Amino acid sequence: MRYEAPETLDAAIGLLAGQSGQVKVLAGGTDVLVQIHADMIEPDVIVDIKKIAEMREIADEDGAWRLGAAVTGKELMDNAAFNAAWPGVMDGVRLIGSVQVRGRATVGGNVCNASPAADSVPPMITSRAIATVIGPNGTREVPVQDIATGPGKTSLEAGEFVVSFKFPKRPARSGDAYLRFTPRTEMDIAVVGCAVNLTLDDAGICTDAIVSLGAVAARALIVEDAAKALIGTPVDEAAMDALAAAASAAATPIDDKRGTVEFRTEVAGVLAQRAAAIALERAKS
Amino acid sequence: MFGEKIKRVEDPALLRGKGKYLDDIHLPGMLHAAFVRAPVAHATFSDIDSSAALAIDGVVAVYTLDDLRPHLTDTVMPVEQPSGALKLSASPSTLADGEVRYVGEPVACVIAESPYIAEDAAQLVFVDYSNLPVSADYLSALDDGAATAHSDFADNLVAGFTLAYGDTDDTFAGAAHVFRETLHQHKGLGHAIECRGVAAELNPRDHVLNVWSATQMAHRAQSILVQMLDLPEDRIRVVTPNVGGGFGPKFVFYQEEVVVPLAAMLLGRPVKWVEDRREHFTAATMERDQLWDMEVAVNADGRLLGVRGTMAHDHGAYTPYGVNLPYNAATNFLGPYELPSMSLDVKLALTNMTPVTPVRGAGRPQGTFAMERLMDRIARELGLDRVEVRRRNLIPAESMPYDTQIKTRDGATMTYDSGDYPAALDAALERGGYSDFAARQAAALAEGRYLGIGVANYVEGTGRGPFESAVVRIKPSGKIVIYTGATDQGQGLKTALAQVCAAQTGAAIEDIEVVTGDTGKVSLGLGAFASRQAVTAGSSVHVAALEVRNKALKVAAHLLEAAEEDLDIADGKISVRGVPDMSVTLGDVARAVQGMPGFSLPGGVDPGMEATANFSPPTLTYCNGVHVAEVEVDPGTGHVQVLNYVIVHDSGRLINPTIVEGQITGGATHGLGSALFERMIYDDQGQPQTTNFGEYLLPSAPEVPHFDMIHMESPTPLNPLGVKGAGEGGTIPVTSAIASAVDDALSPFGVVVRDLPIEPKRIVEMINQSS
Repeated sequence: MRYEAPETLDAAIGLLAGQSGQVKVLAGGTDVLVQIHADMIEPDVIVDIKKIAEMREIADEDGAWRLGAAVTGKELMDNAAFNAAWPGVMDGVRLIGSVQVRGRATVGGNVCNASPAADSVPPMITSRAIATVIGPNGTREVPVQDIATGPGKTSLEAGEFVVSFKFPKRPARSGDAYLRFTPRTEMDIAVVGCAVNLTLDDAGICTDAIVSLGAVAARALIVEDAAKALIGTPVDEAAMDALAAAASAAATPIDDKRGTVEFRTEVAGVLAQRAAAIALERAKS
Repeated sequence: MFGEKIKRVEDPALLRGKGKYLDDIHLPGMLHAAFVRAPVAHATFSDIDSSAALAIDGVVAVYTLDDLRPHLTDTVMPVEQPSGALKLSASPSTLADGEVRYVGEPVACVIAESPYIAEDAAQLVFVDYSNLPVSADYLSALDDGAATAHSDFADNLVAGFTLAYGDTDDTFAGAAHVFRETLHQHKGLGHAIECRGVAAELNPRDHVLNVWSATQMAHRAQSILVQMLDLPEDRIRVVTPNVGGGFGPKFVFYQEEVVVPLAAMLLGRPVKWVEDRREHFTAATMERDQLWDMEVAVNADGRLLGVRGTMAHDHGAYTPYGVNLPYNAATNFLGPYELPSMSLDVKLALTNMTPVTPVRGAGRPQGTFAMERLMDRIARELGLDRVEVRRRNLIPAESMPYDTQIKTRDGATMTYDSGDYPAALDAALERGGYSDFAARQAAALAEGRYLGIGVANYVEGTGRGPFESAVVRIKPSGKIVIYTGATDQGQGLKTALAQVCAAQTGAAIEDIEVVTGDTGKVSLGLGAFASRQAVTAGSSVHVAALEVRNKALKVAAHLLEAAEEDLDIADGKISVRGVPDMSVTLGDVARAVQGMPGFSLPGGVDPGMEATANFSPPTLTYCNGVHVAEVEVDPGTGHVQVLNYVIVHDSGRLINPTIVEGQITGGATHGLGSALFERMIYDDQGQPQTTNFGEYLLPSAPEVPHFDMIHMESPTPLNPLGVKGAGEGGTIPVTSAIASAVDDALSPFGVVVRDLPIEPKRIVEMINQSS
């Protein structure tokens, strides 16, 4: 196994493009190293992208944030302005692993590891962030929800990797939130996760909403009906009931030791309501 | 000194990373072992092909049972404990003998220059398995025609017994009320922070086989090795280094503990094996499932008249530790209550899963859960307060000592020796705010929050004999050393024994060294089990220290030319009362009796300042306690948060309250895991599904509440210190208290907990079923 740590995007592209055999991009390593230890993967080449400066930047580009894919969770948590802009994304980031894990783990890695239960993915999806993907054939832009295609699988082509995420400008009176359910408070894999991002008009009517569920399908879902349940309403009890019903209806989970189909389906609705309530509070404040 | 909250003498080294655990043993030329383990639950095999493994550079040997057979007196491990209940003999083989019976069973052992090479090579040992039908469900395993866990057995009923007294048939026929509860109980692994491990070397200078093991029973390990390897006792020394937790699974002698020493002998080089966590999940023993199907008969006032029922127990594939676990569960079912009649039929099923042996609590949590669930049921049915039902049935303090009608393992009557159960209950209720809880609950419910309170009692037999050893020696240097067969897994044993010794000898704690679990230092010993070492080793140290004290006073009286009764012993010296300048140190008296060629000893005493005691408690001493749990349940997700937790416990006199508080806190945390989180899952082919801490959930810091403790001290008359055991009591009533609290919180939905652990998905399911 060969380890490379290029310092430029071009060098990384060159390394990734020229390989035969299994190649793995490494950022924080909190998934890749575990998979190696568990004999799940046996890469021939590891390309560590942490030393590429532009992948480590957090930049406010006139209200539109750009987040380097190798920025660690801890670095993001320490950025007060980003926390204020995207509290729901940070709800997810704060739940990744432990303090130690977040010191290494990156949002880019969380997205590209393609776990259906990844905590930062539903709120990244509801933020409508666009990933900048680079590879041997140049650069392309991919919405976050289109990166993962199934457990451990992504739409990235051979030699491609995510450089950064570009967030849209935050409208006034908007707020996002993410909640997950785990039996314990920390260090557990989400049994169900739900992110809601919504915008109100000055009369308090919801004009825009997006709802994403994690851990109830092969990848994080966008639930259109759940968003429709909120749009045009003051996010009142009736809207919340419709939201819960839509979230539960969209869930197609599996039975496993962490939860049954029935449990996950029901909790998806419960969490959607609760996340929407937090997002609503944030939009109003 | 006795009873003081002194800091643990063990901790400075451990906190600074200076502990010496099994894996810290590094010897010149040391080799490393890895075990080839069964990947399937039940299969036969004939061929083991080691050639690919042996071809790897650095691999020294691959051992199968055939390789070891010539060097063992018997390939079957001599670990069976006698019991009239046993119907099948199911001791494990040293390495699998043509048939594997659980995933994780050791089949072969690879020895290599490094642990990495050994583990890589172990994956290349090819075993040609032919699968057999699997016994993976302990309930259907007892049916006629079920797949047998051992192909040479006709059925899976490895043991069975009935615990009965009084006339239950008449009682039930005439009872005002009869209620039935069926309870599925699960309890998991011990999960000491340090997994198992063993290292061994045959010392070429004295031909002693030195064995280091992370065990709770050094002397029993030595005795089994003597038997299996046919060496005299003086040629095998078993030493316990620092051991990072035991909790029961290390009170078992395992296959690895004979294979590794034997490999060291055969190869003439030291060999070490350290278990990893994934191995520990399948290769170390655990607890698992019991099904209790119980009927209770009560009179119109809710007084117990009788209990009858059955209990089925998943015993796993072998019997490495007798049948104590279900026996404890049955005998401790009684708890602190007056129960006129009882009939409990217990059946132990062999399954193709990891063998089941006691883990902290050792069946008592299950027995207690059964009784306490019945108590809550009686209250619900008769419209009585849950505490009132318990109060009506508690054994009054004035009945102590109280003869139950139950026989212990050795046939003696189970007699509760001391304690005030009603007072313990009152103290717990007061501290837990029970009387005004209903108001708090109603106020919370008005806000849409579901609070509940639960109360549970327990009684635990502790301090099991037959004895523990202690040697107390005052050395001519003035320092004291204590040798004991008791073993230290981090409980604070060394501190406690030093305190007992200091109380008699007046020596400073820092001048007392305690050496535990080393067969080279003391010939007899039993080790750590059944919450026993404060009682047994503590009493032995007390008796020996008292003897040494009396001898020291006699010698000092001679040296000081004073009467013994005029002497004080304190601060490391013996002085004439009122004349502090007239004194001798403990070193002075020890030197006076170490002998000088040609001179007689002062006062005509025997040489040496040393005494040995092997205190034998006449019978078990019974500790008791009450837990009050207050929880909040989120009906939307089934999440349970413990808001407040009160523990009243009575383990007799306390040698060191800090140590006891540590034991109770750890014990209750184990109980919380059993109540809410821990489930060892196997599929229907006996494949384990939870083999890491992401899948098997232990309580972590945010889940563990502050345990608010009240100590009661009812001394026992059964030992000179008046102490009772405290190592397991904290665990025993937790599942009961939490279940009761969850019921109470969800009483608007009519939910009743009957299964453990109480998982979120199950709570949501129960709410849905009831509404």
